[in-house]
Amino acid sequence: MTAGAAALAERTQGGVAMLPANSALAEEVHFFHNWILMPIITGISLFVLALLLWIIVRYNAKANPNPRKFSHNTLIEIIWTGIPILILLFIALPSFDLLYKEDIVPDGKQATYRGDGQTADFVFANDFAEGRTIVRAKHIEVYVESPSGRTKLTHRDDYRLDGLGDPEIVVQFENPPAAGDSVIVRGGRSIVGRGERAAIAMAPTMTIKAIGYQWNWQYSYPDFGDFDFFSNLLPEEQATPETWLLDVDNRVVVPVGETIRLITTANDVIHSWALPAFTIKIDAVPGRINETWFAADREGVYYGQCSEICGVKHAYMPIAVEVVSRPEFEAWIDEQRALAGMEPMFGEDVKLASAAAGDNGN
Amino acid sequence: MADAHAATGHDAHDHKPSFFVRWFFSTNHKDIGTLYLIFAIIAGVVGGAMSGLMRWELAEPGVTILTQWSGGDLDAAANFYNVLTTYHGLIMIFFMVMPAMIGGFGNWFVPIMIGAPDMAFPRMNNISFWLYGASGILITLSLFAPGYGSNIGFGGGWVLYPPLSANTGSPGPAMDLLILSLHLAGASSILGAINFITTIFNMRAPGMTLHKMPLFAWSVLVTAFLLVLSLPVLAGAITMLLTDRNFGTAFFDAAGGGDPLLFQHLFWFFGHPEVYILILPGFGIISHIVSTFSKKPIFGYLGMAYAMVAIGFVGFIVWAHHMYTVGLSVNMKAYFVAATMVIAVPTGIKIFSWIATMWGGSIAFKTPMLWAIGFIFLFTVGGVTGVVLANAGIDHYMHDTYYVVAHFHYVLSLGAVFAIFAGWYYWFGKMTGKMYREWLGVLHFWVMFVGVNLIFFPQHFLGLQGMPRRYIDYPEAFAQWHYWSSVGYAITIVGMLVFLVAMIDAFFFYRRKAEANYWGEGATTLEWTLPSPPPFHQFNELPRFDKGDAKAF
Repeated sequence: MTAGAAALAERTQGGVAMLPANSALAEEVHFFHNWILMPIITGISLFVLALLLWIIVRYNAKANPNPRKFSHNTLIEIIWTGIPILILLFIALPSFDLLYKEDIVPDGKQATYRGDGQTADFVFANDFAEGRTIVRAKHIEVYVESPSGRTKLTHRDDYRLDGLGDPEIVVQFENPPAAGDSVIVRGGRSIVGRGERAAIAMAPTMTIKAIGYQWNWQYSYPDFGDFDFFSNLLPEEQATPETWLLDVDNRVVVPVGETIRLITTANDVIHSWALPAFTIKIDAVPGRINETWFAADREGVYYGQCSEICGVKHAYMPIAVEVVSRPEFEAWIDEQRALAGMEPMFGEDVKLASAAAGDNGN
Repeated sequence: MADAHAATGHDAHDHKPSFFVRWFFSTNHKDIGTLYLIFAIIAGVVGGAMSGLMRWELAEPGVTILTQWSGGDLDAAANFYNVLTTYHGLIMIFFMVMPAMIGGFGNWFVPIMIGAPDMAFPRMNNISFWLYGASGILITLSLFAPGYGSNIGFGGGWVLYPPLSANTGSPGPAMDLLILSLHLAGASSILGAINFITTIFNMRAPGMTLHKMPLFAWSVLVTAFLLVLSLPVLAGAITMLLTDRNFGTAFFDAAGGGDPLLFQHLFWFFGHPEVYILILPGFGIISHIVSTFSKKPIFGYLGMAYAMVAIGFVGFIVWAHHMYTVGLSVNMKAYFVAATMVIAVPTGIKIFSWIATMWGGSIAFKTPMLWAIGFIFLFTVGGVTGVVLANAGIDHYMHDTYYVVAHFHYVLSLGAVFAIFAGWYYWFGKMTGKMYREWLGVLHFWVMFVGVNLIFFPQHFLGLQGMPRRYIDYPEAFAQWHYWSSVGYAITIVGMLVFLVAMIDAFFFYRRKAEANYWGEGATTLEWTLPSPPPFHQFNELPRFDKGDAKAF
C-alpha cells in the first residue's frame, strides 16, 4: 500500500496553517482556532499596537510638551475589566463544547428495522451508560432506506418519539414505511461535525493499543486476535525526502469512516502519540492507560511524531496511520493474522464480512 | 565583618570594607544586588550560547553541527542536543532571570524604594547569594557528569519528568547533581523571599503604607510570596525523585505502585507560579519606566497592585493546563481551562493601565522606554497565544509543538528579558554612576527587537504545522521557518554585541557621570533622591511619608 499524494502535502515548506483536517472533529478544532481564536487574538494584538502607535505619534514630548496629570478613571477601568470577561466567555462556550466532544469516546449505536408496510412503531433500546441515556430528540436520527436511496427524516414532521429518557424509546411514524424499506435509527449523545456535517457519532468499531518504547511504537489489535507489531522509523534510504523522519516500516492501518478507539501506555518512559490530521495528542504513560478516539474522513497516509521528550531518539519514532477502505482493511487484518499464525478472520468473502461488521454510516 | 560594619556605620558613608570583605562577606544590599547581576550576566551568556548551538544545529535539516562535538556519533549528538534544551531552560530560568530580577534589581532597589537602609536580614542575604553560587557549581558539574550511558549531562527537559529523569531514563549522576543544584537554588530563593517579605512588611519609611508603596516593591512582594509557597513543593518533588533514584522508593515508579503523573502535578504546582515569578518583577519595572518617561503618575495604581496579587493567586490554581495530554479527566480539564482563562483579565488590566499611563503624557523615547514599549506589545502577543493554548481542545493539537515554544519565549524571552534590559538601562546610571551612550542603547534595542521577533514569530507557524519541540532533526518541510528562526538568532547575537560595546563604552570611554536624577521630573521614586551611585549606606535619616499626602510613586 502506498502513501497517498495528498497526505504527503500535509506539511509544506513555509506553511503557516494547521495541517489539513481529516475528521469531522478535526474540522471543528480548525474552525474554533481559525475562525474564533485567531480573529480575536489578532484583533487584540492589532488594537494594542494601534494604541501604542497613536501614543507614539500624539503624546511624544514634541507633540505634547505638557503632560496631563490624571491617574484614575473608574469607568474605563470597569470597561477594560468587563469586556475581556465577555470575550473570554465567548471563547469558553465553544471551547468546552469541543473539549467534551474530543474527550468523551462516542457511544452512538444504530438499529435497523425492516418495514412491512403496516408497522408504524419501532422500539429503540435506550440502554446507554448512566448519564448517557437519551433524553432529547436531537440525540436520535432516523433514516429510511429504499431502493432509491437513503433519506434522513425530520422529527415531528416525519416521526414522533415516545419515551425519551425511558429504557425504551418508540419511534412512531404517521404512515408505516413501505414493505421492503429499511428504517435505520441511530441514537447517542455525541454529535460531531459542524453545520451540515453534524451527526451522531457511532461507538468505536475497534480498538488499537499503542505502547511507547524507547524508541519505537508497538501496536496491537485486540479485536482481531490481538496480533501486534513494532513500528520503526523508515531508514533514510527507503524514505522519500518528504517522508524522511515521518514514515515507518509498519504503519497503523485503520478503516475509513469508522470510529476507532485508541489506547496508549508506555513500557519505559513517557511518550506521546500525536496525529495532527486527527487533532489528537495523547501521552503514553507507564502504569496508566489513556484513551482517545478518531474517525478518519479520507483514505491516505497521515503522519505524526512522538510529542513527549523520551531520550536520545525522541525525534526518530514517528507515527504513521494508513486509512484504507473496509475491504482493504479486512485483507490487511487477515494478512497480519497469517503472519501471527492465526486463521483468516474475514476469509475470501470480503463482502459478507463487511456486512457483518456493520454499517458505520458510510 | 561586624567590625567593618561598625566602622562604616559611623563616620563617612562611603568608607567601604576591603575588596575581599566587601564582595565575599557582603551584607550590603547594593553589593549583593551587583553580585547577583554579575551572576545573571554570566549565566545569560552561557544559556544564550546554548540556544546558539541549538539554532545552529536546526538551521538546516539533518544532524550536521553537534556531531562535530560527538565525534560523528548521532546518539551522542542527540543527547547533547537534549542536554542543551534542558540546561538552556534551567539556566535561563533559575540562573539568569530570577537572579537578575529578584536578586539583582530586587536587592538593589526594593530597600531604597521603600526608604530602608538595607534588607531586614543582611547576613541571610549574603547566604542567599552564595547558595546560588554553590548551586551554579553543582549544575555545572551536572553538565559534565555522566547522564545517559557514557553521555554527559541530563537530557530530559527542564521539567525533569520521571521516568526519563529516574533510573530508567537517566541512571548517571548528572541528574542527582542537578537535583542537588535545584535544592540549593530553591533554598537560596526561599531565604531571599523571606528576606524581601520581612523587609517590605517591617522596614518601610514612616508613613509609607502598603498603598503608597512603589509598584516594583509590590511586584517583588507578590513574587516573594509565590516563591515561599511554591518552591517547597518543587523541593519535595525533586527530593522524592532523589530517593526514587537512590534509596529504592517508588513515588513515581508505576512498577512499585507509584505514579509518574504525581511528579508532574507537584512540578507544575511549582512550575506555574514560577513563570509568574519570572515576569512579575518585570511588570513592576515596566510600570516605573512607563510613568517616568511619560512624566505622568501610574494610571490605576491600586488596580495595578491588586492585578499582580490576583495573577499571583490564580497562578496557583491553574497548574494542570501544562498537562492536558497526560490523561486527565474531562471535567478536570474543563476546570483548568476556565481558571487559566481568568488570568487574562488581570493581565489585560495591566496592559491597558500602562497604555493609559502613557495616554496624555509627554513621552521621551529614551532607551528604557523603547524596551518598555517593546515589552508591552510583545507581552501582549505572547499573552494572547496563551489564551489559545489555555483551551484544552486546541492544546491537544498544539501541546509540545513549537507553538508552545513561541508562546513562552514571547512572554519570557521577549517579555522578561526585555523588562530586564529596560531596568538595566533605566537604573544603569543609578547603579554605576556612569551614563551609557544613548544611541548605542537605541541601536541595541532595535537590533534585538528585529532579531528576537525573527527567531520566535516563525515558530508559531512551525507549531501550527505540527513541528514537535525538543527535536534535533526535522522533516524537510519545516526547513524554511527553521532557517529564518536561526537567522533571527544571528541578528540577536549582533544586538548582544552592540550591548557589549555599549557597556564597555559606558565604563571605559564615555566617562559621563550620572546625576542624582538623570531622568528628570518624571522619576519620582526614592532612588532618584540619592546620588548616583548611592552611598554605601543610605537613609541614615529616614525619608518620611506621614505628612501631607506624599506618595512614593
